[in-house]
Amino acid sequence: MPKLKINGKDVEVPAGATIIQAYKASGQDICHYCWHPGLSVAGVCRLCMVQVEGIPKLQIACNTEAKDGMVVNNNSEMVKETVKWGLDFHLINHPLDCPICDQAGECGLQDQYMQFGAYDPEMAEQKVKKSKVVDLGPTVVLDSERCILCSRCTRFCDEVTKTSELGIFNRGDHSEIGIVEGKPLNNNYTLNTVDICPVGALTSKDFRFRQRVWYLKEADSICPGCSTGCNVKVHYNEEGLWRVKPRVNPDVNGHWMCDVGRNTYKYVNIKNRLLAGKVGRRDSWMEMSPNDATRTAGMRLKDVVDKHGPESVALVLTGQYTNEEYKDLLVYFVTGLKLKNIFHWVNNPEKLNDFDGLLFRGDRNPNTKGLEAALKLAGSKGRWEDLQAGLNGKKIKAVVVAGPEDQSVYPDMNEKVALFAQADNLVWFTACPSDALNGSGAETWQIPVKTHAEKAGTFTNFQGKEQKFPLATTIVPQALTLSEAAEVLAGKELNWALRPKSLGGAKNNYATTERGAL
Amino acid sequence: MSLVKRPSPAAQWYLPGILAGMWFTLKKMIYNIFNQKKMVTLNYPEEKYEYSPRFKGNHVLTVKKDGSIRCTACMLCATNCPAQCIKITAAEHDDPTVEKYPIAYEIDVLRCVYCGFCEEACPVDAIRMGPEWQTAGLAGSKFTYDIQQLAYRPQLKGGVQSVLDDQERHKKGI
Repeated sequence: MPKLKINGKDVEVPAGATIIQAYKASGQDICHYCWHPGLSVAGVCRLCMVQVEGIPKLQIACNTEAKDGMVVNNNSEMVKETVKWGLDFHLINHPLDCPICDQAGECGLQDQYMQFGAYDPEMAEQKVKKSKVVDLGPTVVLDSERCILCSRCTRFCDEVTKTSELGIFNRGDHSEIGIVEGKPLNNNYTLNTVDICPVGALTSKDFRFRQRVWYLKEADSICPGCSTGCNVKVHYNEEGLWRVKPRVNPDVNGHWMCDVGRNTYKYVNIKNRLLAGKVGRRDSWMEMSPNDATRTAGMRLKDVVDKHGPESVALVLTGQYTNEEYKDLLVYFVTGLKLKNIFHWVNNPEKLNDFDGLLFRGDRNPNTKGLEAALKLAGSKGRWEDLQAGLNGKKIKAVVVAGPEDQSVYPDMNEKVALFAQADNLVWFTACPSDALNGSGAETWQIPVKTHAEKAGTFTNFQGKEQKFPLATTIVPQALTLSEAAEVLAGKELNWALRPKSLGGAKNNYATTERGAL
Repeated sequence: MSLVKRPSPAAQWYLPGILAGMWFTLKKMIYNIFNQKKMVTLNYPEEKYEYSPRFKGNHVLTVKKDGSIRCTACMLCATNCPAQCIKITAAEHDDPTVEKYPIAYEIDVLRCVYCGFCEEACPVDAIRMGPEWQTAGLAGSKFTYDIQQLAYRPQLKGGVQSVLDDQERHKKGI
């Protein structure tokens, strides 16, 4: 364990660590572009210059191993000047089109220029013009002019995905990032290159020009896309979620996340959501508040249990809800209604153990492990054949389904709705509307529930790791969580004062457009 | 407790006061009849006051030489706006040298405080505060100005040209 002195501060780092890691460990600022903790060392940007006592020339911190007794600093005049004019070289051909650049606001060049540069440019020559808006693949757009050739993206494709789509072509100031013709940047991890790009050279087609980043707030969350449970940040404003970015967790996802997981924000947004409870069947639906719909559903369930006994009600759960919700729902159904018919709806049993070798898993539910544990605790022995037999034999009169949050990963949605609709009563908790449900023949309660971004809870990932996440934002304030639904089903009143309110500060001045003639 | 001050006994005799006021009015009227050029009031709809050319009136979105809108939808004006009355929706332009442009640019002028911060924040001279100030109207909805109104209203006669053009910038190598 080498001990060294950094800017006068003692730091101890593991053997083999570099000086830049010691800087990060000590929490001090150091200018750098090409170094990334998840990638190999390239040493091409030459900005992480440090002065090591005993070595006459400046060294790059990212490629110099930290040794015992080293005395390092990066606040001497010599280092400051070197970094400043190093930055000038990086900006020689940079177009400075920050107004139209998506990276503005979270840009390494902007930040580091303000912190370490702040010089008057002295280049009199014209800038080298390169290609703009280059289509690299289905998800990423390249602007070669903005690129500072840090090679993070090419190293990512070489080392992490091992697909090597990106490369640096040409020489000198004509160097450009590019792809080989006919081999687009098309894998499940492409958008990580956008995240690690320190400038706005690589931008995401999905997010491009849709929001300025300084309008967005961020909150920690867990990706609900698969059972890996990548740690993510969701970026949102009053209008909803805009993008998902990975958060570092070396035990689960490292620095990365997959492109499939980045699309999980879409169904959370209000235009894809079920906003009011719907009660009825096939052609006649009555809208009511989720609270009222749940209360009437609870009364009907109690009637069915009173008339036909607890074996006439079945509870079907999917692995898309939090551990807390499973617990609350099962407490009501198992101890309150004395239910024994509890089933686990597995969407893709044949792909359940698929794994792409990096992060993405075939089990597209974030909390299969948590549901299994909850079912075990509840003593459920529900087998799918029993449910089928009970429905065919008309023994089961009511089915309660905690339906999938993300319906796109449940290809058997239509079949299952048709199957459950064989019962007389169907209570379906769902975040998004579904055509299959709207055509249900049974008397159906469609009750809107909250998505992962709108509630706090715990997901248990495939390793059995319980990961807590906080409430990020509220998109459909009237929707219930399953815990709240369990209370309402039991006939209790919700404490409305404690529930999150709708998003504040809508920017549109509706008074102007809706006032009409003055 | 607030005290109400009663008028003095002298003021209760209001007739002298009224007569003094009427005498003043009569004096001014006679003076104005004989010195009409020195009158400070204007017959408003027929006569209009000439404001300074730097007057911050209604907003104008400038256009490029080809008549398309200069704005790049960087949203700095919307960010800087203290009244939060600017709403911009950006989109990708077919021309890669333009790249980003607004498909919707709305100013809610009833919220606007005419401070001119948008003009100051704009990096490309795309928005200016023009000299127009007569903006009476009947319907509240008419006060949300869109691109058509801001850049191409008839008074502007085809649009105000921006001093900064992308083509020129690219030629200069900026």
